[in-house]
Amino acid sequence: MDKAEILSKVKEAFVSVLEHDNFELSDETTANDVDGWESITHMMIINEVEKVFSIKFKLMDLMNMDNVGDLIKTIQSEL
Amino acid sequence: MEFVKKLQESIQEHADHNVLCIKGTSHTYTDFAKEISKIRAAIVRDIEDSEKLIGLVTNDDIYTYASIIALWLEGKAYVPVNPEVPVERNLTVFELTETKYVIDSSETSEYNTFQIITSSSIPEAEINLIPKEFSGDQLAYILFTSGTTGLPKGVPITFDNVQGLVHAIEAEPEFNLVSSDRCLQMFELTFDFSVVTYLFPLLSGSCMYTIPKGAIKYFYIFKLIKEEKLTVLTMVPSIINYLRPYFTEINAPDVRYCSFGGGALHSDIAKEWSDCLPNCKIFNYYGPTEFTVYSGFYPYHKETHHKSHNGIIAIGTPQKDTLYLVVNETNEEVAIGETGELCLAGPQITQGYWKNREKNAQSFFTRKEDGVAIRYYKTGDLCLKDEEGDHLYVGRADFQVKIRGYRVELAEIEFHAKEKSHKKVNIVALDITNDLGNAELGLAIESEEFNTDEIFQYLRSKVPSYMVPMHVRFIKEFPHSINGKIDRKELRKHFDITK
Repeated sequence: MDKAEILSKVKEAFVSVLEHDNFELSDETTANDVDGWESITHMMIINEVEKVFSIKFKLMDLMNMDNVGDLIKTIQSEL
Repeated sequence: MEFVKKLQESIQEHADHNVLCIKGTSHTYTDFAKEISKIRAAIVRDIEDSEKLIGLVTNDDIYTYASIIALWLEGKAYVPVNPEVPVERNLTVFELTETKYVIDSSETSEYNTFQIITSSSIPEAEINLIPKEFSGDQLAYILFTSGTTGLPKGVPITFDNVQGLVHAIEAEPEFNLVSSDRCLQMFELTFDFSVVTYLFPLLSGSCMYTIPKGAIKYFYIFKLIKEEKLTVLTMVPSIINYLRPYFTEINAPDVRYCSFGGGALHSDIAKEWSDCLPNCKIFNYYGPTEFTVYSGFYPYHKETHHKSHNGIIAIGTPQKDTLYLVVNETNEEVAIGETGELCLAGPQITQGYWKNREKNAQSFFTRKEDGVAIRYYKTGDLCLKDEEGDHLYVGRADFQVKIRGYRVELAEIEFHAKEKSHKKVNIVALDITNDLGNAELGLAIESEEFNTDEIFQYLRSKVPSYMVPMHVRFIKEFPHSINGKIDRKELRKHFDITK
């Protein structure tokens, strides 16, 4: 799966949790840039992403995830 | 004031220790003493002596913590407002307390109609930590909680109240912070639980680690536990609910104490969590804002102390100088093993809600015991006391609803529903009013839709039919109040059952 494809699936996961698509995702995007992305919704987004890609993140990876770029890198390493 | 004097001594004695670690930056007690002294000098210079209730914008920085101590050294109270809450609500708080002065470390303050002390840019001042003489019935802080009428409800706490809390915790042999402890401070300063997470570390010269606003708090807490090797955790149970899928990856041998409060601690998750903390004592604390944070605890241990009721860990016994009384509707003590409302008396009891005579008449009563009049606060929590004197939490009095004339404890329905649910998700039972004005039961499940036949079959085998909910809603994300508790009122809006 190439990066663009991963990003588009990640965006779908965000939209389904946050229930709006009023944002763009790039490597540098953080929780501050997206309406409604905070502690609790983050846990739901992670859960959704795990389901979509059939992967299970490790807490160590989640702990150091600061932006969407980190998220995508971690997904790539799990696939 | 004894505890304020002790704060002074601790700050001086631990000069080279760290006091706060905020966003990866450490501050020493010497830095802290300097900031306190600067803010104190500004308070003395700008605020007249008669002004006692001073607004405080709760930013996550050393200035905000230093402001609390500076105000206390001067015998004044802080009225905290959270910068993330709509300004309008915060202005209502200041209106209610008739606050004229606001301490704000923000670069540009949103409270310009008040006299502002910008705590982040005060010129150097001579170190001065000697507390002023003042009477213990002066206020130390006022916190506002949501009121049923829509207007926030103020809870004033005096220096004597806080002293009562300090005496009780000092008297507890099982809990002793030391200056080498590294303590989690995850609470917003408008939440009363924060008082124990800054006050006790300061009194023992240990270091607090805060959670930056905007951080994903569950992972940030884990990061602090792992990288900073925290030794003392004080948390609401919802934190570990979210970390639960990752428990197998958590092993934190450095944690000595883990205290829970501010919500029901469930026995299944408590056991799993205690496996993650092999060298830790777990305390299940209980206490309302109206009684200065804590009134007592149950010392949980997965093998020896795991008393529970409907899956909720016991809240144990009252702490030093506190009295517990379980009463019926007419404020008479009920027998052992019977459910009633828990009432609290002792030195930590608030003098009453801020300018709210009506609410005070409902929430407090006086009872003669051995010829002495004792004033009790009615917590709204239902409990029962067992033969060994431990108190078991049953539910909120206002979660006890009447369905077709029967008394129903919502927590009981939740317990059974969770028992049979394969998915470990939040499940909340609610009473919903239909268009005939009768209460019906609804079950809210925090999840994607799934088949609930098994849950309902099980419920029908466990509880009388009137206790089986008639409506189910799957909600992806439960609404939470600012303190992280599930907002039941908001949740109820998902059940539109009128025709």
